[in-house]
Amino acid sequence: MALSPLTPLTLPLARLPRLRSRLVGLATLRRWAAAMALMALPALLAGCQPARPSGLLIIASSSRIDSLDPTQASRSGIMQTLSALGDPLYVIAADGTITPRLATALPQLSADGLRARIPLRQGVSFHDGTRFDAAAMAFSLQRFMAIGTLSYQLTDRVRAVRVSGPYAIELELLRPFSPLPRLLSSIFLTPVSPRAYRNHARSPLNDRFVGTGPYQLSFFSRQQQRLTPYPHYWGPKPANSGLALVSLSNSTALYGALRSGEVDVLLSGNLEIDHQQALHREAEAGRLRETVGPALEISLLSLLTDQPPLQNPSLRRAVALSLDRATISQRVSLGLRPPLQELVPPSLPGSDPKAWPAYNPTEARRLFRQAGYCQGRRLELPVTFRSDVPTDRLFALTWQSQVRRDLAPCLALAVSGMESTTAYSQLDKGSLTMLLYDWAGDYPDAENFLTPLLGCSASRGQRCLKGNSVASGSFWSEPGLEAQLQDSSIQTGPAREALLRTIQRRTAAATPYIPLWLTRPVAWSRRQVSPIRFDGSGRVVFGELHLEGQP
Amino acid sequence: MSRRRELIRYLGARMALVPLMLWLIASLVFLLLRVAPGDPIDALLGPRAPEAARIALRHQLGLDRPLINQYGSFLGDLVQGNLGISQHSQEPVRAIIGASLPASVELGMVALLLAAVLGLAVGLSGIARPEGRLDLAGRLFGISTYALPPFWAAMVVQLVFAVGLGWLPVGGRFPPTLLEPQGSGFFLFDSLRAGNWAQLQGTLRHLVLPASTLALLLSGIFTNALRLNLRRALDSDYVEAARSRGLSERRVVLRHALPNALLPVLTITGITVASLIGGALLIEVTYSWPGIAARLQEAIAQRDYPLVQGIVVVVAALVVLVTVAVDLLVALLDPRIRF
Repeated sequence: MALSPLTPLTLPLARLPRLRSRLVGLATLRRWAAAMALMALPALLAGCQPARPSGLLIIASSSRIDSLDPTQASRSGIMQTLSALGDPLYVIAADGTITPRLATALPQLSADGLRARIPLRQGVSFHDGTRFDAAAMAFSLQRFMAIGTLSYQLTDRVRAVRVSGPYAIELELLRPFSPLPRLLSSIFLTPVSPRAYRNHARSPLNDRFVGTGPYQLSFFSRQQQRLTPYPHYWGPKPANSGLALVSLSNSTALYGALRSGEVDVLLSGNLEIDHQQALHREAEAGRLRETVGPALEISLLSLLTDQPPLQNPSLRRAVALSLDRATISQRVSLGLRPPLQELVPPSLPGSDPKAWPAYNPTEARRLFRQAGYCQGRRLELPVTFRSDVPTDRLFALTWQSQVRRDLAPCLALAVSGMESTTAYSQLDKGSLTMLLYDWAGDYPDAENFLTPLLGCSASRGQRCLKGNSVASGSFWSEPGLEAQLQDSSIQTGPAREALLRTIQRRTAAATPYIPLWLTRPVAWSRRQVSPIRFDGSGRVVFGELHLEGQP
Repeated sequence: MSRRRELIRYLGARMALVPLMLWLIASLVFLLLRVAPGDPIDALLGPRAPEAARIALRHQLGLDRPLINQYGSFLGDLVQGNLGISQHSQEPVRAIIGASLPASVELGMVALLLAAVLGLAVGLSGIARPEGRLDLAGRLFGISTYALPPFWAAMVVQLVFAVGLGWLPVGGRFPPTLLEPQGSGFFLFDSLRAGNWAQLQGTLRHLVLPASTLALLLSGIFTNALRLNLRRALDSDYVEAARSRGLSERRVVLRHALPNALLPVLTITGITVASLIGGALLIEVTYSWPGIAARLQEAIAQRDYPLVQGIVVVVAALVVLVTVAVDLLVALLDPRIRF
């Protein structure tokens, strides 16, 4: 009998009554064979795991990288990768000290503080063999100023970059700027080879990177990057034979990849709190390693201060006093996000850990009463959270319940979600009474946390008309505050720290923002991986990682 | 008019409508993106970048031009096959689509093949004894796989086979320890062409879970469609006539009933292929599959106008072409169809 092409699909027809008796034995056999083949396939594939090159470490995170060009860098994932591929002029250690990396000394300032001379390291080469010198550094900084996504970080402070010697550059500043070394520790200012970027002096080069770092790029895709040690690196050689950086898009995949041993190191990124907690427990039980880095991301509530009801500073303070950070942090983040009562992360100079008042429902009630609430009249306050950030939603609902429990006659929160990009575009329109969002400075300095929230170039009384305060949704300023902010960029040492604390206290007294909690970078690794170390910029030092027991 | 000329006239009419449809879709996407709240500048710089930097970037991206001018440029470029430059990565949109689309198509095709085999096998299994155990099991399979929430099913499969048993990778398209196959972007094809067994193995290992999950979810459609159409065909007059001529039941089913029952299934396959071209978003997100759907989702979140417009137009064009191709195939196979 000729076989039809559809014969394989008709095996179950063997159950037709007429054929059953003849084929039942064969059909059973076929079914068993098919079942066994199906069972064997995954096992076969599972057993065929590709061999891993010795000493190669696989590091997973949620960051997809569109471009490896430092001019396009604005997110933490690319900054982490660039920190392995490139060197900044300065690095900030975990204890906050600043050390020259490609520079050989801290900037030498002119008497008026408007010119900074930076001596550069000799004997450094780019991954394409080009010599690193002042011309290369100037080329990179000028390129960043011309096409950088965050170019304003430089163009707002630097008028010009000049070569002042074979191994020295000079920055002409618009005004004295004391956190200059901290700004120059930004990895987006890492130098790139003028030869490799010759045709990209005014356009980004996305899928390549030619810098001076301990690793060179050997493969790039959005989801995966392969880094191999650069044999002619001027500094300490990496302790591993290479890195494979992979991006996984959801928390379960990231968590599962480390649990199943598919990856060696996991950077927290957007890991859900439950997964973080599970990994924390694994680490406590000694099955994984866990390392926490310096917290450089804060979450805060912005309060719309130029419209009723939060126009009243007493009410704003009462709202701040009604926030039980400790309980909410425990309920929402299982204690993984430490409560925060200031706008500057505690690891930075100028921090003032108790600037904002702690939870005090009695005092809050008194202030609400003073404003005419509580006695049969309740303040209905809208709170907006970013609907695409699960923790924000949990925060809003938990705070709403906590207020209902503690201050029901005085205050009721009406919570609603809004997609983050939409919410950001509404901030400067004054349409959000209270919004929860987070902020991470582009480089670790107090100025980078205060100015973006409080800066104001035009104001009337306590109302900011133009500037960062408007963009941040508070519309708040005070006479003299902008001058203090400017001054904080000029002062140095203890005087600067005292001024930063004064600014924070002034702001806390007016309560245009309510700091909520800190988000700390966390990394987990398998036990076989050497201990992880973060630098002062919150990035893992990849070059020190290695599989223990391997040279 | 001969059937062939009818077919050509039909094809011509359908193809003539394609540019009109694409123009409508492109215009709609262009307008909806501009009407939707959110600002690409916020997505790029964050909400607190200085006003001067925002103005400069807006100018650089051409977003400060009148809307009608932006629309004119968009259409002009589109006519020339230029999909523009991604605002987010400054890469040509065409290159981004070229990198993401093969991943979705490869996943979709493998899943569709598995789904067809599984779904048709289950659909056929109950035919021998209607309302019997196998038939009931097949119906249950058809309904439950169709009703399974994709995200949940994908998560469970991932947790069991990748996290729990550790048999297969949790996500991604290729092992990080190997170098990706180079060429067309279809990793199965590229690794086979290169004769690289390790690459093929790596590709297959990463494909198994997402393709199986997607296949499981799609197979119910095939099961139900085949069951119903085959049952209807077996009750028809021409099948009775075949039986009365003394043909064996096997021959009746294979030669007479099944080809007719498969025609509607072919149409369903076409629709499924068309929907898979746009990617299976939840599967791609769960398995970190770098496909076009996940890319589109990111582009929307980033308000990357050129990329969203480019992906939608390309996917729409492919969907239209596949739909026309399936219509033609069905018409060629079924002489009863008139245009």
